[in-house]
Amino acid sequence: MKANEFPQMAVQLGKLKLKNPVMTASGTFGYGEEYAEYVDLNRLGAIVVKGLSLKPRLGNPPPRIMETASGMLNAVGLQNIGVDAFIAEKLPYLRKYDVAVIANIYGETYAEYQKVARKLNSAKGVHALEVNVSCPNVKKGGLSFGSDPKIAAEVTRKVKEETDLPVIVKLTPNVTDIALIAAAVEKAGADAISLINTLTGMSVDIKKRAPHLKNITGGLSGPAIKPIALRMVWQVVKRVSIPVIGIGGIMNAEDALEFLILGAKAVQIGTANFINPHATLDVIDGIKNYLFDNQIKDINEIICTFKS
Amino acid sequence: MKKNIYIGEILKNEEIQNDYFLMKVALNNSFAEPQPGQFVMIRIAGLSEPFLGRPISVYSFSRGKSFCTMELLYRVVGRGTKIMAGLIKNSQVEIHGPLGTPFAIFPAKEKIVFIAGGIGVAPLSLLAHHLCKNVCYDKSQMTFYLGAQTAEAIIGLDRLKKLCYDIHIYTDDGTLGGKSLVTQAFQKDIKKYQPENTVIYACGPNGMLSVLAKMLKSKKYNCQVSLEERMACGTGACMGCAVAIRDNNGALAYKRVCSDGPVFNLQEVIWE
Ligand SMILES: Cc1cc2nc3c(=O)[nH]c(=O)nc-3n(C[C@H](O)[C@H](O)[C@H](O)COP(=O)(O)OP(=O)(O)OC[C@H]3O[C@@H](n4cnc5c(N)ncnc54)[C@H](O)[C@@H]3O)c2cc1C
Ligand SMILES: Cc1cc2nc3c(=O)[nH]c(=O)nc-3n(C[C@H](O)[C@H](O)[C@H](O)COP(=O)(O)O)c2cc1C
Ligand code: FES
Repeated sequence: MKANEFPQMAVQLGKLKLKNPVMTASGTFGYGEEYAEYVDLNRLGAIVVKGLSLKPRLGNPPPRIMETASGMLNAVGLQNIGVDAFIAEKLPYLRKYDVAVIANIYGETYAEYQKVARKLNSAKGVHALEVNVSCPNVKKGGLSFGSDPKIAAEVTRKVKEETDLPVIVKLTPNVTDIALIAAAVEKAGADAISLINTLTGMSVDIKKRAPHLKNITGGLSGPAIKPIALRMVWQVVKRVSIPVIGIGGIMNAEDALEFLILGAKAVQIGTANFINPHATLDVIDGIKNYLFDNQIKDINEIICTFKS
Repeated sequence: MKKNIYIGEILKNEEIQNDYFLMKVALNNSFAEPQPGQFVMIRIAGLSEPFLGRPISVYSFSRGKSFCTMELLYRVVGRGTKIMAGLIKNSQVEIHGPLGTPFAIFPAKEKIVFIAGGIGVAPLSLLAHHLCKNVCYDKSQMTFYLGAQTAEAIIGLDRLKKLCYDIHIYTDDGTLGGKSLVTQAFQKDIKKYQPENTVIYACGPNGMLSVLAKMLKSKKYNCQVSLEERMACGTGACMGCAVAIRDNNGALAYKRVCSDGPVFNLQEVIWE
């Protein structure tokens, strides 16, 4: 390869073409504008925005976050401005950029998921939906939509009915057999799968003998969860044939490459943005350097090359 | 891109009083001028632990020919600040900032009252400096009420003496200054200050600020407070640093201390 020849970085996730495989993880990059002064948003593979619900959500009372060993717990409680305000106030800003926008959606009932999906389907500037199934299903006694293969498949089917956009289903790791859920949502028509969301955890204040988080439990993210995320991506990749997006504890290009080699077609960067606002761009540049140094012309030549 | 994380080099990191440290950091001159009330997130450069940055107010800032210097005044309260306290000269720190919405300034108001509890003196000291130097307030227009549990926790006094004539010190145990809560002391003087021509700036523990909120509830003072909450991103993206606020319609809303704040109007904050 000649020195001036850049490795080809574009990847294809079903119908969705991305200029590179690096996206932001929902809830860690706001609506994009929060990081626009740090990062040239045009360079990103995609921006996944904060989870959107039908109505604005207040979120949980503070304290909402706690640092843990190599990571953090959060119990934000999906505070967001609601899908209508997103379309009216945030999308016009994002449309100014040449970047794929993926709307992460959330509902407490099937009907809510459907309504949010319908509204986004007709909104200009949304390139795909990512369905967060980690939230409690109020109708089914608070059990998470994503912890039962039948319910996860049903959400997928219902959302697909409402939209022509590619539908990515984001899985929760708080299950016994993630490949089973992945297979169920694939069968229900999911165009891609992203994983993992946060792992439920706790932290105790020994002075007060009370939880550090007002919500008592929270979602663990950051480098601490990467080995689990890798294991789950590996299990899912073996089971499904739709594209898989790897998420969990990616701090740098090496971490991202681990996911790509295992078979993830793309990755999302979450908690890393908090301590390095340039993390996404550093990962993109790092992957390019790796490909260049190893004389690999196309990112797709590295994906799913794991030898076991 | 305009904003970045800066690598700062520690020029000095000294224990000035039991558990209170003053850190002096040299930064590249492209670091933006911090406004009073703004803060930085600080991490130890290159280390993965402590994982998240710690928010610390800017205590002073000056621009030299080849670099700028920022001072941070901090109290050791837990793991992160303990590790910070162990850093030696020439160590490198990652500085993210300046962040947050600064104190609003009302040059037409004649009287400025500062109320600080303990380490809360840090952002108010920078504000007093700014009001003297850049807004042309006379020292006689500014009154500072500084309180703490005990004499050892009264810090930053030397610098304040250069900025304000009228400094009132109180400790809960009477080891320095008057024996009183700083809020009670202010209440005794409150008639001296007309709501129409006074601005109050306060920073300190939540207990102190909530007492102040009750005291001023039915009065028409413009009172701005700087709040604290645990943070992750510092840029308004994660919604982690929520504080309960009463919105324009009187309903509960959660705002972000890092970007909507840390400065809020006292009366919009909902105290438990
Ligand atoms: C905008 C802002 C400005 C600040 N300015 C200063 C300053 O100038 N000087 C200074 O000494 N401190 C300041 N603080 C507080 C400082 O951030 C915390 O003391 C610090 O993060 C504690 O870290 P730690 O690892 O030592 O403690 P931890 O081990 O994390 O916690 C120890 C204790 O401190 C409490 N705590 C942790 N983080 C915070 C926090 N962000 N705010 C309040 N309490 C916290 C915890 O609840 C716990 O009780 C500021 C905080 C904010 C939000
Ligand atoms: C503060 C915070 C908020 C999050 N909000 C959402 C959300 O709204 N929807 C969602 O699907 N995932 C959300 N997540 C999960 C992340 O998108 C990601 O799946 C997880 O953090 C693991 O990746 P990481 O280790 O790189 O952070 C959130 C994570 C954090 C830390
Ligand atoms: S710390 Fe992330 S929004 Fe304030």
